[in-house]
Amino acid sequence: MTRDLFELTPGYREKWPYVARYAPVNGWRMHYIDEGEGDPVLLLHGNPTWGFLYRDVIGPLVQSRRRVIVPDMIGFGLSEKPTREHAHTLDGHIANLVSLVRQLGLTRVTAVCHDWGGPTGLAFAMSNPDRVRALVVMSTWAWPRPPAEFHTRLFPWRMMHAPLIGPYLLGRHNVLAARGVYLSVVDRDKFRREAQPAYQAALPDAETRLLTWAWPRWIPLDDSARALDRFTWLEQELAKSKLPAMIVWGREDEVFDAATFADRFKRLLPHAEGPHLVTGRHFLQEDSGAEIAGLICSFLDRLDQRGG
Amino acid sequence: MTDVTVIAKPDLTGKRLAFALAEDRIGHYVEFRAYFVRIFDLDRIGLAEPGFVQAPSGFAYALVFIGRSGDPFPSGVEVYAVVDALEPIDDSVLDSDLWAILGWMVEGVGGPWTRHDLEETGRLYRIPAALAGSARQNADRRADS
Repeated sequence: MTRDLFELTPGYREKWPYVARYAPVNGWRMHYIDEGEGDPVLLLHGNPTWGFLYRDVIGPLVQSRRRVIVPDMIGFGLSEKPTREHAHTLDGHIANLVSLVRQLGLTRVTAVCHDWGGPTGLAFAMSNPDRVRALVVMSTWAWPRPPAEFHTRLFPWRMMHAPLIGPYLLGRHNVLAARGVYLSVVDRDKFRREAQPAYQAALPDAETRLLTWAWPRWIPLDDSARALDRFTWLEQELAKSKLPAMIVWGREDEVFDAATFADRFKRLLPHAEGPHLVTGRHFLQEDSGAEIAGLICSFLDRLDQRGG
Repeated sequence: MTDVTVIAKPDLTGKRLAFALAEDRIGHYVEFRAYFVRIFDLDRIGLAEPGFVQAPSGFAYALVFIGRSGDPFPSGVEVYAVVDALEPIDDSVLDSDLWAILGWMVEGVGGPWTRHDLEETGRLYRIPAALAGSARQNADRRADS
């Protein structure tokens, strides 16, 4: 049904001409695309988007002779969408990604991580360093707490996903995909015209939207948080990592503001290139997809030249 | 002031429970669980029967509490509209009632959670029931002035 809704979305096929592929991961059906040849680049999205977020990044990477793999997180896009909140755990999502990478036999992976694609993708990388060549981070985080002042505020963040309120606002009314992303891009008219229908079509019914309020509940806000130990481990592992890395951030990002978050990544990964600031709020790929593609291509070209 | 009231179990003859909303983690913020335990005396009643409220439309709603091994009770809650067995429910009525129930819940949970913040959140995300509430308040203010 979701696929039918996509076909009804104007211009969808031109923007997303890729062959749908599926892999079983931990008992769930994961959708991904696999385009081009060369060292693999794994493009990882977060909440509430799907691979479509990278539509302006994929083509240039393929043209520069990279193999581009874009999975949809279980619960988003064209992947299977569990209908019970307890089906979603941070470790489970990391293991889903590990499963896909191992099934595809990927090595020399560049993991490009945005939003929840950060904690999942970076944790995959830290737990499978022999398969990873480089990291690119964008508007995400990788430490226990606080994630951002925004996430500690009651209005609107904590209220939005509070008990019963989350299922009402994000489930019945799909506010994150419908208006949340809209408020977190710079060119809102373009977004409404070109992308919003594809995000909404991926989450057509209340029961398909569960992960949009489950993920916010995994952001650690105090010492009792479920993911505290995983984030503590992740930060420690990243601090030891010597993997080549690049930091790209939205200049207008007020959820994960560059001054706080990009700088903290720079302290965590002092050898990383950047931060490169581009036009964009939290969903910076919507405003600067082509520029981000150019930055990644240049970064990988430099690694190639160095023989890395 | 709240426009939702706790009521005794209504006569369910000729009625059905129409599923409206489900919450798997009522204790994500523990004060929400505590409110339901307090208002429906759940430490005593447990799973014996749902809690019932009456919403602004006049419909009754059943709050069915869920237990889960290893978690404090209740771990979840499902909300059902009590409607005539063979009649469909008007979705806009259902939506407004749910919004009112959420307001009642937040008011009952108390500080730092406020109905004002809930309504602001609803307006930010253009929830029809929240916008209708604003329109009503503005009309009341104009009538008073």
